[in-house]
Amino acid sequence: MNAHSGDFIATITSTDPAIRNRPIEELAAGLDASALWDACRKLDAFRRSAPNLYEKVRALFFLYAICRFFLPPLLAGRPAGRISAAAHGHLLDRRFPEAIDELLAETGGDIPDDARASGLAQAYYQFGLQCLADQVRRSVRSVRGNQWMFRCGHPSTHPLGIHPTLRERAADEPFPVLHEQTAVRMDLTHSSWSDIFFLGMDYPAGARVLNVSVNLGVDGRDDEARPPVAAAFRVIDEPVIRLTSVDLGATADIVELGDMFHFAKDYLGLLKAAVIASGLVPIGMEGSGTELGELLEKLVGPGLGFELVSTVNDIPKGSRLAVSTNLLGALIAACMRATHQTGSLTGPLNESERRMVAARAILGEWLGGSGGGWQDSGGVWPGIKVIEGCEAGPDDPEFGISRGRLLPAHTILGEDVITAETRRKLQDSLVLVHGGMAQNVGPILEMVTEKYLLRSKREWAARADSLAMFDEILTALKQGDIQELGALTTRHFFGPLQAIIPWATTLFTERVIDEARREFGSAFWGFWMLGGMSGGGMGFIFDPAETPWARKRMREILGTAKKQLEHALPFAMDPVVYRFEINENGSSATLRTGPDALMPAGYYPLMIPNLLREDPRRLPPARRLEAVLYGARAAADPQLRGTIEPLVRNLLPQAARGTGSGDGGSLDALLDECGFDTEAHERIRSDLRAGRTGLAQNRLPASTVIEDVAAEEIFDMARDVTDGDRQTGAAALANGEVAVVSLAAGVGSRWTEGAGVVKALHPFCKLAGRHRSFIETHIAKSRKTGFDFGAFPAHVVTTSYLTHKPIADFLRDHGDFGYEGALRLSFGRSIGLRLVPMVRDLRFAYEETRHQILDERKQKMRESVQEALMGWARSVGEGSDYRDNLPSQCVHPVGHWFEIPNLLLNGTLAGLLRERPALRTLLLHNIDTTGVNLDPGLLGLHRRNGAALTFEVIPRRIDDRGGGLARIDGRLRLVEGLALPREDDEYLLTFYNSQTTWIEIDPLLGLFGLDRQSLGDPAATAAAVRRFAARLPTYITLKDVKKRWGHGQEDVYPVTQFEKLWGDMTALHDVPCAFVSVPRVRGQQLKAQAQLDGWLRDGSADAISSLGAWDHPS
Amino acid sequence: MNIAKALITAAGRNQRHLPLQTIVDREGYPRPVLTHLIEEAISAGIEKIGVVISPGDADLYERAAGPHAGSITFIEQPEPDGYGDAIHRGAGFLGSDPFLLMVSDHVYVSCDPERSCARQLVEIAAAERCAVSAVQATHESNISAFGTVGGRLFDGRSGLYRVERVVEKPTPTRAEQDLIVPGLRLGHYLCFLGMHVLTASVLETLDRLLSIAGNRRTVNLASALDDLDKRERYLAAEIAGRRFDLDERYGLLTAQLALALDGPRRAEILETVVSLLADVR
Repeated sequence: MNAHSGDFIATITSTDPAIRNRPIEELAAGLDASALWDACRKLDAFRRSAPNLYEKVRALFFLYAICRFFLPPLLAGRPAGRISAAAHGHLLDRRFPEAIDELLAETGGDIPDDARASGLAQAYYQFGLQCLADQVRRSVRSVRGNQWMFRCGHPSTHPLGIHPTLRERAADEPFPVLHEQTAVRMDLTHSSWSDIFFLGMDYPAGARVLNVSVNLGVDGRDDEARPPVAAAFRVIDEPVIRLTSVDLGATADIVELGDMFHFAKDYLGLLKAAVIASGLVPIGMEGSGTELGELLEKLVGPGLGFELVSTVNDIPKGSRLAVSTNLLGALIAACMRATHQTGSLTGPLNESERRMVAARAILGEWLGGSGGGWQDSGGVWPGIKVIEGCEAGPDDPEFGISRGRLLPAHTILGEDVITAETRRKLQDSLVLVHGGMAQNVGPILEMVTEKYLLRSKREWAARADSLAMFDEILTALKQGDIQELGALTTRHFFGPLQAIIPWATTLFTERVIDEARREFGSAFWGFWMLGGMSGGGMGFIFDPAETPWARKRMREILGTAKKQLEHALPFAMDPVVYRFEINENGSSATLRTGPDALMPAGYYPLMIPNLLREDPRRLPPARRLEAVLYGARAAADPQLRGTIEPLVRNLLPQAARGTGSGDGGSLDALLDECGFDTEAHERIRSDLRAGRTGLAQNRLPASTVIEDVAAEEIFDMARDVTDGDRQTGAAALANGEVAVVSLAAGVGSRWTEGAGVVKALHPFCKLAGRHRSFIETHIAKSRKTGFDFGAFPAHVVTTSYLTHKPIADFLRDHGDFGYEGALRLSFGRSIGLRLVPMVRDLRFAYEETRHQILDERKQKMRESVQEALMGWARSVGEGSDYRDNLPSQCVHPVGHWFEIPNLLLNGTLAGLLRERPALRTLLLHNIDTTGVNLDPGLLGLHRRNGAALTFEVIPRRIDDRGGGLARIDGRLRLVEGLALPREDDEYLLTFYNSQTTWIEIDPLLGLFGLDRQSLGDPAATAAAVRRFAARLPTYITLKDVKKRWGHGQEDVYPVTQFEKLWGDMTALHDVPCAFVSVPRVRGQQLKAQAQLDGWLRDGSADAISSLGAWDHPS
Repeated sequence: MNIAKALITAAGRNQRHLPLQTIVDREGYPRPVLTHLIEEAISAGIEKIGVVISPGDADLYERAAGPHAGSITFIEQPEPDGYGDAIHRGAGFLGSDPFLLMVSDHVYVSCDPERSCARQLVEIAAAERCAVSAVQATHESNISAFGTVGGRLFDGRSGLYRVERVVEKPTPTRAEQDLIVPGLRLGHYLCFLGMHVLTASVLETLDRLLSIAGNRRTVNLASALDDLDKRERYLAAEIAGRRFDLDERYGLLTAQLALALDGPRRAEILETVVSLLADVR
């Protein structure tokens, strides 16, 4: 049966699952552009009037998918089009319905062009997600027990009071301390991320998780496993809220109510969220102008306050065990107990109290701008439990809005269901590890949402498989068959999970699994992925007889694999193997009174030094008492004994350990080695501090005339490449006249959000059957060229101090991927030292350039972070050297313009020309332009047009930000986004710079005042490069760098660096340039990992697979 | 149902002297609070009154009861073991009859010129032939001081509710989950006024709960009432009147003002208050 444009709505509204779950591919199959657009118009009208939120959201996602995947291939040959500044503005400010209306109005009812289709796709997608987030937010607020906190806006109506037991003490004793200990959760299966809130609310029958509460220790460090997260609460005799995170080494006295809502001011955001979400400082008081003292007087008593302390048993971040959610749960539980919100001050919680803690942990995560799944607070419950979505009933606030409730139902599986023997077997077989990778799971959860709504055939079938496997896993567990359990979780990982989200696996994960399989053979029973993706927390199941040995070996296997891949993948820490045991208590509290009323041991090294620095006469009595008590107990108490050494260390801070001791040497040595130009650096700093350079100064004068370039003014690959060009190109390739230059000096800050890995080595996608790095992908295309034309082109990879050694080692380890041609590295030694940014530039970046506005709480969080970062820049010195990080994170490459001169300076080009006198042309491209290749037609076109440089451009889509091809004061040139006088100018430009350039070597040398002979003279070459460089502008830019500390913790700092950019060659009047428009698949750059899924699904990955010859002898 | 007995609890650790305070009544005559409460009960047709007191307080209370002293039975609670225990101590006095239960640290002012608060409550209980607690809608910021009930309108009658849950001094966190009553304003719950008509089965339940609690004899009334609805009809009634808790800060002053303003010398009192306000700088 042929699809019909009206089938989409019938699919959404049908009550028959067979119809409702039809895949979108089936609905769109066979529809031409007109019919698809007709379907879009109907869907758009439907979503505007749909009373049911979930039908509306599904319509929005159908619209997104049509505009993103199904319509664009049918628009070939139509004008590229442009997205207006108005539509862009609406999108950036999260006015998605207005953006849609604007784009639809611009199309005048006709089929949109490619650019507007991309804009519509993004607007529909974001609007759909926003509708879902809004609904979750409404549901969180409407949970009974949470509602009053939004209404309470003044201390006089604050309904809570501190439990009197916590205020009772003898005159010479400290206040009692309430200790809450909580497990973390490990999920045996989440049935393909079915713990996403929205999925549970729309499809409660498909939302099923098997979740185990566990205690943890680190193998080789801890003798036993214990509850990994804990909170302590006590009254203090000062009218402040004292928050302390022992794990993050941070403490603060909150004296103003506003600071409670300033989450990013310090490392105490989680504790603040707990205090708010538990109602001690009700969220309704945000922005009320209330005095904190007034609130504390009502809550605790006159002159009193309270203290909340968090501890994590040194469990590294990214463990996929929901450590932060369960810590939030522990903190909330302690606060609730302290204010009579639980039946009992101590002991375990009852079911309704656990549910309340879970609901408030969701609220707390929302407040802090983060979010996990609904199973994450599972550590608050004891033992092994099934957590399932629930249909909303008439008494539920969700009734009539969504099929399911926000909060799922927990069924604890007692020993009558899963025997003590099975529990022991599970503990004896499982080796629980943290692989060391820390990645953001957020994009994966968005992908899951999208795929669920679209019911794509493969993914929907995989979800059904996953649900069926849930029953099998549960049965295996009930039967105590751990070997079968291992087989099932492995099948789950390689089957449904990867079918839905290919990015759930990594090369690191698969390498470790292969190694475990190879070494342990049949004693390796299986692998299981914890949480949202692999690479961090993971489970390996072994025959219990082998487990002790496996625990030791897995640490080594993980360590070796990490070492092999540490430059290619973002590792936050060295892998660890855990000790673990099932926690049968869930969250539970004890009260310590009298001389036993001590805080957690780790608290004292943090606090006592501060007390000792104070004038003893000014210490509040309770603090003085605390110091005395600690002094009396420290020597005798085995737990406190270990705190003396760190206390002394904190009391006498040592000089910061040489930055980069673990990074292959000091920063100064690196700077020396790379010939760092101190004089030039001081000049840059002086210009920056004096305001002569800066983000605002990057811009061209306001009087500059910026105009768009029409498609007819430049070449078009489809239109202008002739058979003659193809023949010319083919002959040149066969004659060895062309070499490829892949730019790989940078680390791709956006790609791993500042993690500093070598992007070229990142195994970003499975192509032709296995993970491939960018560099291997480009080599495979050069090999294909060699096979096709009979001559393997020389292939140069440019490197820098950041990337040279890792790339050289990687190519050596892989035998240059068996490349038959010449493969050369061009080591660029130019280096810059990053600077602490000027507050002026931060303010410019944050306030005067447009950004995507975020969801309400995330935006608040971002603003809070920005304020904190400006404070940081002021405190450490604006424009000072950025040295407080690993050396490789303190220095930067000085822009890709230098990578071509480096070929001249380091002799790489001279060498190639000596070896291959026929070499005439270079194809320069970014490492992430995966679709580029030595296309003979384009080569022929480049030769025919006679330009020294032919730049490839692509029709712009919504994601293509950062300048483009423009007519500037009458001259066609590429312009960087940061140089445009007005941000809106970018929206005038139809074409975007792909950065790919065909370079004629001799004319280029001529421009530098050189030729093939003089290239052999280093002094002349250096002088020529210096002369030429002076003609190009230097841009000041801000980049994000990660600073890692503690146990996998990461902070992101903005730093200032300077760059010269290759596209500015087009601005020079004496450089003959041409421009050619190429298809997106060829010119698309992969800048962020979130692009990968769409790139895979729109056929780009397949197209690129076909461009390479992947098999090689190694 | 004939309700002829009343029990007033006055043995609380912090409340035992409150009923002995002197307060000026509506007509302008100074009298102990205890007398005021006894007359509230008598106005409802109560014939016998038991007062639970701490050991050694009998003389003081007898004097405070004045002309009513002869008709009062004093019952001693040896240890301050909580409200549930205090009521349970009255079991012998109450027998199997339904009874009016009042706390001794409250003063009630009726809005019905014809009927006292206690009388309104007793009339409803007699008509419905069941236990009834007097309640008033209370803002969530105050509910943690009172026993609070959850339920729904009884028979569609305004101000009368069938009680399904009773929780002692809940937080709003708990109240939102278990104690929402349809028809009340957002953030308001039905809280006890400290006045109930109860049946003998409540005493039986208290007896059971106290033996379970053993030495930890702090059983509250709410626990005994929580499942009363499962055994017999149990209602809550919003009566036309106000309660003044003497135990609050300025509680005695507020109660005094309310009583005075409710009497024939209202204008005189108002004049005094206005003059006070004018003098306050």
